[in-house]
Amino acid sequence: MPARSLHRWSTVTVLFLAALGAAVACRSREQAERKEIRIGATLPLTGAESRIGGFYKEGYDLAFEEANRQGGLQVGGKRLPVRLVLLDDTSSQATAVSLADRLVNGDKVDLLLGTYASHLVEAQSTVAEQNKVPYVNGGGGATDIYRRGYRYLFGLLAPVELLGTTLMGFVDAQQQAGKLPRPARVALVWENTAHGKDFRRGVREFVAGSKGGYEIVVDESFELSGKDFGALLEKVKAARADLFLADAHLPDFITMHRQYVSAGLCHPVVSYGARGAEKAAADALGRENVTGILSAVWWNAQLARKGGPTRAFVDAYEARSGGREPEWYQALGYETARALFAAIQQAGKVDREAVRSALAALKLDSILPGGQLSFPAGQGQQAHYPFVVQQNLADGTSPIVYPEDSATGRAVVPNPRCAR
Amino acid sequence: MARLLDLAISAVLLAGLYATMAYGLGLVYGVLRVVNLAHGGVIMAGAYLGWVLHGRLRLDPYLSIPLVLVATYAFGALLYRGLVRHLPRGAAGGPASLLLLFGVWLVLRNAAYLLFTGDDQAIRTSYSTHAVPFLGTWVSVNRLAVLGIALVIPVALHLLLHRTYLGKAIRAAAQNAESCTLVGVDVERVYTVTFGLGTALAGLAGVLSATLFAFNPASGAGELLKSFVVVVLGGLGSVVGTAVAALILATVEVFAILVLPSYLTAAVGFVMLVIVLVVRPGGLFGQRVLG
Repeated sequence: MPARSLHRWSTVTVLFLAALGAAVACRSREQAERKEIRIGATLPLTGAESRIGGFYKEGYDLAFEEANRQGGLQVGGKRLPVRLVLLDDTSSQATAVSLADRLVNGDKVDLLLGTYASHLVEAQSTVAEQNKVPYVNGGGGATDIYRRGYRYLFGLLAPVELLGTTLMGFVDAQQQAGKLPRPARVALVWENTAHGKDFRRGVREFVAGSKGGYEIVVDESFELSGKDFGALLEKVKAARADLFLADAHLPDFITMHRQYVSAGLCHPVVSYGARGAEKAAADALGRENVTGILSAVWWNAQLARKGGPTRAFVDAYEARSGGREPEWYQALGYETARALFAAIQQAGKVDREAVRSALAALKLDSILPGGQLSFPAGQGQQAHYPFVVQQNLADGTSPIVYPEDSATGRAVVPNPRCAR
Repeated sequence: MARLLDLAISAVLLAGLYATMAYGLGLVYGVLRVVNLAHGGVIMAGAYLGWVLHGRLRLDPYLSIPLVLVATYAFGALLYRGLVRHLPRGAAGGPASLLLLFGVWLVLRNAAYLLFTGDDQAIRTSYSTHAVPFLGTWVSVNRLAVLGIALVIPVALHLLLHRTYLGKAIRAAAQNAESCTLVGVDVERVYTVTFGLGTALAGLAGVLSATLFAFNPASGAGELLKSFVVVVLGGLGSVVGTAVAALILATVEVFAILVLPSYLTAAVGFVMLVIVLVVRPGGLFGQRVLG
């Protein structure tokens, strides 16, 4: 090689190494000079989902307050306060997407927390993926969101499929106790959405593996915000089912159950998925009409009876909100922020790739059912844990009746309303 | 056989609801030739009005109907006087009225979000889930009440339109507004009253819906769509046609479950709408004005 060419290559190499060194030094200095960790998020604080968006905000706020009360997060040998940059996505997909883009590229936040509702999370998580920003959400439960192969998306809402599976687990325990016939006839009614389809899949998979324990005699979907379920309920009535398992949002639950009661229907097991235990249900339908209904949710404050981090969360929340008991929304918001904080501390630096890796490997003592939170790669980094099944009792309480290790009361099967 | 009878009863009850929702839209179009896109918003507002009167004053939703009718009539009359009458008449006013009334709907919806948040609400009375036995099945008293009101409305409208001077003026204005002016009919007043009446009927549909369904500020879109199908199917401007079309639509939707999955039954109505528009654009009952 000629001496002149060798000299030129040496110069280029030295310049490259110098630039690399400068970049590393700048980055290190940036880390050293960092005053806080900025976490961006949007929530539906106005619009159709505003009530629930407000609940998630309460969970986020509590988690940030707790972290900062301890001096912040332990990163690189010192504690850094965390600041939440929270914007209102107005329950709109377009706004959720544009605000996520603004948070990442305009406000230069370090990491992202997610919004609420599957359709908003689905749209917004794409922005995070494009910008390679870890995005931890507690508001998107549809499994389709996690089947896209995204690396930076992490979800705390267990799939709705598990709602169906957990409910059937409860039913199976009752059948084995001789309280339900074998085979039991199942009327499966589900809303024609990703939520409803996941629920149906969970029930059907359980039935398929039950070795003849169950027979699905009705399998029908319905459109959201239906005005009349008379014909559908006629079909259910004609099928003479033992289990009436529906998956519905609150408005459809109210409309359908009013017609169900008016039509004189009653099944030994009645469930509307996640609906039934909320105060709004008893207000709209009357306590006597919701007695016996089973519902399965991601979390319930009764889990605090076991102590641990759940007790600490419930106490802290009640102290902050004047004694009001948290619902699963606040718990998921709180736990979502806590999971991201844990990953930052385990990564030891506010580096997006390092935090992503820490999230992927996370095993956190959790307030969620099962007690441990992780984001299994095989499930698209969506957390998996059992739901808790509650039953409305005649005295107005709704104890957890399943799984056994979380139970705070005993189930009454068959449905006591049918005896009236 | 028993199942077919159950389905037939379901269809008649559902028809009552559809007809109640559609009368106001049909009346306004029949006389003013304006498609009132704010109709869905007023149905939602009527539901909230009934809910507030029930929650705050403990007023039974059926007893609150006169108050809701007065309030929504006043709103409709003001809406006409303040906005709609300034629009150009005839074909030129079509797009303008659509845009304006769609805007009114958005204002109503966002006002409801501000006042009541996005929470789902429902009116519960002591008889919300009560039913009476009828031909071997149970029929909800609320749905029966809605059906009864749905039958009373066309009779009342018929009496108004055929037995009163105002009614004759409304029919005359619907047929030829220019000639009405020549013979001394105050057409603007007739239009104001008609728009107010149409809006009041939407408010009535709202409070009746609230006794059956949960609602929130986004409610009204589905109701508007169904009303539109019923009105077009029956023939724009025909009150009797509206009632019969509601029965046809409800019957087809309910009986469709015998051959179709439940989620497709709602689509049957829209397929019917397309067929009617292609085969008989004037609707099943022609272009009779306020027949």
